[in-house]
Amino acid sequence: MDPYSAEGELINIHNHFHQGQYQEVVDFDTSSLSPENALPARVLQLRARIALGEAEEALSDVKGKSEPELQAVAALAEQALGNDDKAVAIIEKLSENNGDENATVQILGGTVLQAAGKSEEALALLSKHQGSLDVVALIVQIHLQQNRNDLAVKEVTAARRWAQDSLLVNLAESWVGLRLGGEKYQQAFYVFEELAQAQATSSLRSLVSQAVAELHLGRTEEAESALKEALKKDPQYAEAIANLLVLKYITGEDGAELKRSLEASDAEHPLLVDLAEKSDLFDKAAAKYSAKASA
Amino acid sequence: MQASSGMLTKFESKSSRAKGIAFHPKRPWILVSLHSSTIQLWDYRMGTLIDRFEEHDGPVRGVDFHKTQPLFVSGGDDYKIKVWSYQTRRCLFTLNGHLDYIRTVFFHHELPWIVSASDDQTIRIWNWQNRSLLCTMTGHNHYAMCAQFHPKEDLVVSASLDQSVRVWDISGLRKKHSAPTTMSFEDQARANQNQTDMFGNTDAVVKFVLEGHDRGVNWVAFHPTMPLIVSAGDDRLIKLWRMSETKAWEVDTCRGHFQNASGCLFHPHQDLIISAGEDKTIRVWDLNKRTAVHTFKRENDRFWVIAAHPEINLFAAGHDNGVMVFKLERERPASAVYQNQLFYITKEKHIKSYDFQKNVESPTLLSLKKLGSPWVPPRTLSYNPSERSVLVTSPADGGSYELINLPRDGSGAIEPTDSRRGQGNSAIFVARNRFAVLNTATQTVDIKDLQNNVARSFKPPHGTSDIYFGGTGNLLIITPTAVHLYDIQQKKTIAELAVNGVKYVVWSNDGLYAALLSKHNVTIVSKTLEQISTLHETIRIKSATWDDTGVLLYSTLNHVKYTLLNGDNGIVRTLDQTVYLVRVKGRNVYCLDRAAKPKILQIDPTEYRFKLSLIKRNYEEMLHIIQNSSLVGQSIISYLQKKGYPEIALQFVQDPTTRFELAIECGNLEVAVEMAKQLDKPKLWTRLSSEALAHGNHTIVEMCYQKLKHFDKLSFLYLTTGDEAKLTRMAKIAEHRGDFTSRFQNALYLGEVEDRIQMFKEIDLYPLAYMTAKAHGLEEECQSILEATGLTEDQLNLPTFGEPLTLPKPIVPTFKANWPTKATSQSFFEKALLGQMEGLSLEDESAPANGLGEEAEDGGKQENLIDVDDEEDAAGWDMGEDIVPEVEEGFVNVETAETGGAGISEADLWARNSPLAVDHAAGGSFETAMQLLNRQVGAVNFAPLKPRFLEVYQASKTYLPASAGLQPLVNYVRRTVDESDPRKVLPIIPRDLEYLASNDLQRGYDSMKANKLEDGIKIFKTILHAALVNAVGSNSEVADAKKLIASAAEYTVAMSIELERRSLGSQDVVNADPNLLKRSLELAAYFTIPKIEVPHRQLALLNAMNLSVRSKNYSTALSFANRILANGGAAKILETARRAKAQCERNPQDSIDIEFDQFAEFEICAASHTPIYSGTAYEECAFDGSKYHTKYKGTVCKVCEVCEVGKHGSGLKLFA
Repeated sequence: MDPYSAEGELINIHNHFHQGQYQEVVDFDTSSLSPENALPARVLQLRARIALGEAEEALSDVKGKSEPELQAVAALAEQALGNDDKAVAIIEKLSENNGDENATVQILGGTVLQAAGKSEEALALLSKHQGSLDVVALIVQIHLQQNRNDLAVKEVTAARRWAQDSLLVNLAESWVGLRLGGEKYQQAFYVFEELAQAQATSSLRSLVSQAVAELHLGRTEEAESALKEALKKDPQYAEAIANLLVLKYITGEDGAELKRSLEASDAEHPLLVDLAEKSDLFDKAAAKYSAKASA
Repeated sequence: MQASSGMLTKFESKSSRAKGIAFHPKRPWILVSLHSSTIQLWDYRMGTLIDRFEEHDGPVRGVDFHKTQPLFVSGGDDYKIKVWSYQTRRCLFTLNGHLDYIRTVFFHHELPWIVSASDDQTIRIWNWQNRSLLCTMTGHNHYAMCAQFHPKEDLVVSASLDQSVRVWDISGLRKKHSAPTTMSFEDQARANQNQTDMFGNTDAVVKFVLEGHDRGVNWVAFHPTMPLIVSAGDDRLIKLWRMSETKAWEVDTCRGHFQNASGCLFHPHQDLIISAGEDKTIRVWDLNKRTAVHTFKRENDRFWVIAAHPEINLFAAGHDNGVMVFKLERERPASAVYQNQLFYITKEKHIKSYDFQKNVESPTLLSLKKLGSPWVPPRTLSYNPSERSVLVTSPADGGSYELINLPRDGSGAIEPTDSRRGQGNSAIFVARNRFAVLNTATQTVDIKDLQNNVARSFKPPHGTSDIYFGGTGNLLIITPTAVHLYDIQQKKTIAELAVNGVKYVVWSNDGLYAALLSKHNVTIVSKTLEQISTLHETIRIKSATWDDTGVLLYSTLNHVKYTLLNGDNGIVRTLDQTVYLVRVKGRNVYCLDRAAKPKILQIDPTEYRFKLSLIKRNYEEMLHIIQNSSLVGQSIISYLQKKGYPEIALQFVQDPTTRFELAIECGNLEVAVEMAKQLDKPKLWTRLSSEALAHGNHTIVEMCYQKLKHFDKLSFLYLTTGDEAKLTRMAKIAEHRGDFTSRFQNALYLGEVEDRIQMFKEIDLYPLAYMTAKAHGLEEECQSILEATGLTEDQLNLPTFGEPLTLPKPIVPTFKANWPTKATSQSFFEKALLGQMEGLSLEDESAPANGLGEEAEDGGKQENLIDVDDEEDAAGWDMGEDIVPEVEEGFVNVETAETGGAGISEADLWARNSPLAVDHAAGGSFETAMQLLNRQVGAVNFAPLKPRFLEVYQASKTYLPASAGLQPLVNYVRRTVDESDPRKVLPIIPRDLEYLASNDLQRGYDSMKANKLEDGIKIFKTILHAALVNAVGSNSEVADAKKLIASAAEYTVAMSIELERRSLGSQDVVNADPNLLKRSLELAAYFTIPKIEVPHRQLALLNAMNLSVRSKNYSTALSFANRILANGGAAKILETARRAKAQCERNPQDSIDIEFDQFAEFEICAASHTPIYSGTAYEECAFDGSKYHTKYKGTVCKVCEVCEVGKHGSGLKLFA
């Protein structure tokens, strides 16, 4: 039986992971799991620890392990520590040997490659999957990051057919929905709100996602309260700060302080990187013009 | 319960065989006549026996209430008809005449008549007012079992064991008795005997004889409105008959009873027949199809009689062991509330909605005729706002549900075209795309998707009877003894609370609390199922709804009540009929009545609002309530006192005694003193003194002691406070009173040795006097005492003395002021009531909005736009359509590219979709944005626009955290929220023109008013920059935008002129240098030229006028004064102008010649701040319209700092 299915042992830990409840994943009691599920659970816990910023601990945990899954985790940890090349190297080796059938290698490999900017390679590796929703979600995200909304839609629609009730399909569909807009905004909002407002599934990530959906729906007040709630739980959460900053811009308020706190919490945040890039672009473009006469 | 399931039994009594029943038309009463000769009067709502009437001898078979009078009639086996008053609880009189058992008695609906049927084969009509027999109808040739008046017409129907049903025409009888009559009783009796009067009229004639039953007929009844008759017979059949004016015939037969059918009737409102029989069943039949709808079976008791309540949905049946009162169907309309809409199902099974705000009912949205069985109303309705669909459950056929999409608007009673259905007892939405279905028989809960496929399934806790929404992702599962909060995802109970018999769950509007309603209890729980409070009602609880502030309003059978979260409750209003609350808004309670019609009830929420604000310590609100409502009375005072808020209660009370008590309780001594003075009772002073002492308020203590004449205590108080003067006075008083003990004490306190000795001497206590004197070394005194007593020192035996007591000296004069030991508790209320609190004035704060702003608005409207038509001057430059750079290669359809490679981001699409610079900037295509601006308005210096560009760019991108380990997904915020066609989407614009006009512009005005011109100029420049890179929603808004831009430009020019003047130097420096002075005066004059709002122009004029006057330029000053007066406005400015004008008119000469011609028309060059007289050539900024001398052509505009002066473009484009 699929351990991730509704009846499976891993459903809860798996859901926790994808709902962004990393601490719950780490704290999950895995002792009662059957032996064949121990490894996937461990991988999830390691990934959660990396997501929580404990990449070094995770790395030392899997050092010298021969299981391809754990090696893939090592690659992920390396990347989280900033060693992109090393991570990619591990993944390339792994995907040659185990890429065809090992879903964990595919997921982690795909993540590492995409994060390293190798989208095509990531998609090539991921396309080998056999009915893994995790992989589908990743593919959807990569398509979206490539602005291939059409392919993302296709992927989600296909997955919907064989995995109706899955959390991941719902999430991926909402990601796509936020890109497509119109009525889809509201539907995405429902999904995120459902996750964010239920005690059992709430996480920073779902809260921020809900806020993002609200932003797109033009409900700035609601979005602001959701973001502030997220920041209350973790004042360092970069995505919450970034989106609150965006919200400040939308409502015409001063965002200088938020920008500083974003710089403090994640100097490499795409918002900042993008901003710096655009700032240069502006200066370059503006330099082309000048007045005929000076006063 | 003995009755079969599905019957809604409301009341059951235990007695001997019940033969006759009658409902009271108004009150919840039922009369039951028993085989044992007793007549019982029950309150079926409370379940109590009100009275018993026992004058009949033997079984009583017929009873009936009078419709309006406090009367009832009974007829028994003692051949007697008795008329009773239930008020005096006596039999008023007895009508004798029948010669055998009486089977039924009924009042006429309007005439003072009674009809009776008897085993003597006659039917008789009696007048109960003059207690006479009016008519005896003969014709039946066996026992007459039942006779009833027609509810409207002059007809009587009777049933007999002779197997016939007869319809009698009694119009003759009415004619005879409604006409004034002089006939004596004897005449009448005689006339009645032959049944025809002298004109040949017959009182009562047989109109129809209905034959069809082949055994005796036990009961017969008219239909309330239609010409129908139903009868029940020993042939076990229920027969339906129809009649016309001239004939009557059998329509059909209802077969089913397998024993004698003893009673039958028509449902008062619905097309149903109800019958009861000796086969222990009550059967319900469809009147139109004559098919069985329900059968209710009782185990042991044969039914003898059945009756219907004339108004409400209630029936009663008498059987071998008593009577039962029951309903055929639930009357609670299925309904659901979402935001401002109520969705409900009417009695016709139509779904309708009701808008609380507009107070309108929608037309029928859908018809649910086919749901369940035709006579079973739907039980629940659950609404899903995201899909606009409803789940309806019906108890028919063991429970079923149906999922239906509602149409957008009501299009009449159409049947749903697309619905999904299934078996289940409860069905509710648990998420936007999920619903839960409970099947009680199999004890399973299925979670289904909208396609009706089971997504998951689980076994609920044992004995689950119902399910309710439990907050996102959760279910509330109801069992007979407990409620479980169940997590659907984890499939486990998260929390459990033992509550008995919960029937309904009502969530608060914010989803934090739920009220669990059972028959007699309301339990309020938090969303995690922790019990907050619970309350018990003796009367049945029907429904509940939450106020927005977290107050639960609930309805019982006869009241609307409230309860706060802490369990405090009270009555809000009474109800005359049962309603089901659905929502509270302000003073309106919205509810559905039993006919499923929305209704609004008015309530006074003051009491619970007050209590609520008390709990929340929202004193402003309380104060408001105290001020504005007549909320007084003992109950609220004792409530406040009980709850520990005596200081608040104090505010309500007038009665001095109560006020005193409350004041003491909350330590408000001032009030207590006041009240004590009013009442002046020793007991109060005593209490006050001890309270004051505890506070350390010794002045009050002193006063109390004085009032109480507690001299000793007073002395001691003075001693402790070191008040020597008063202590001395106390000594004097003691002397006056001749109270030696007191005198001694005071002397002791004061250290007055002589006084003490003197006192001892006065009371002949010479030894003590001597001792005192000796101890203090007063030898002379000793001697004089010895002399007086005739003793010598040797005769005395003296102890040794220590040091004489030194008198304690007060170090601090504590008596002068009270000791601040216990803080006086002046409550918030007192302060507020005394008006001491700022910002808490009792009147509503109608803050006088800044007058300038308001006037400015008016001014803005009057003033016309400047220079919009200057566009024409731009001829010769490309005035054609805007050229949108690199866009028009046609739209690349993304979907055609199948695989590989990255696509085009939405940001790129924006640039394609729009010719507006702002959309290009939002898309990050800064180069094209600049290109556009350059072409439109000649923008060349982009540096000042950088913040705006980046602001627009950043405001349109959100960061959605997605998969772990990957960058967040960038999404694009649109101003076209409802648009999903990629060719039409456009980015959101922060600080759009509306925002600028209502925020930045006002701030700019404020800084003008506050004379903060440096700030102001910055603000107006940012307005210009924001307006330059912007978009509006329609062509008409373009005009508004241009107005805003022009106005901002005028202000910028005006402020920069004044700033230049100020930069010339201080007043002294300027005055010293004639050139500077001249320039200063000129600039002051120019400051009055830009077209700024009138109130602001007044400021500029005032400034210029004052400066001119000071420099003795009276002529110019006069012109300014005249302009001020012409503009009007603030009185203070006008007054100044008038005075200046008077001064100037005495000598209208200028002492300094300046370049300012008050009569010429000119504008101000924005760069040089010199006049451009009309008629001379000038250049201008294509964006903001500021004017320049021609020599400035080609420079960057001083106002917007972006565009090149004199460079004309196609004009700013803000709307595509």
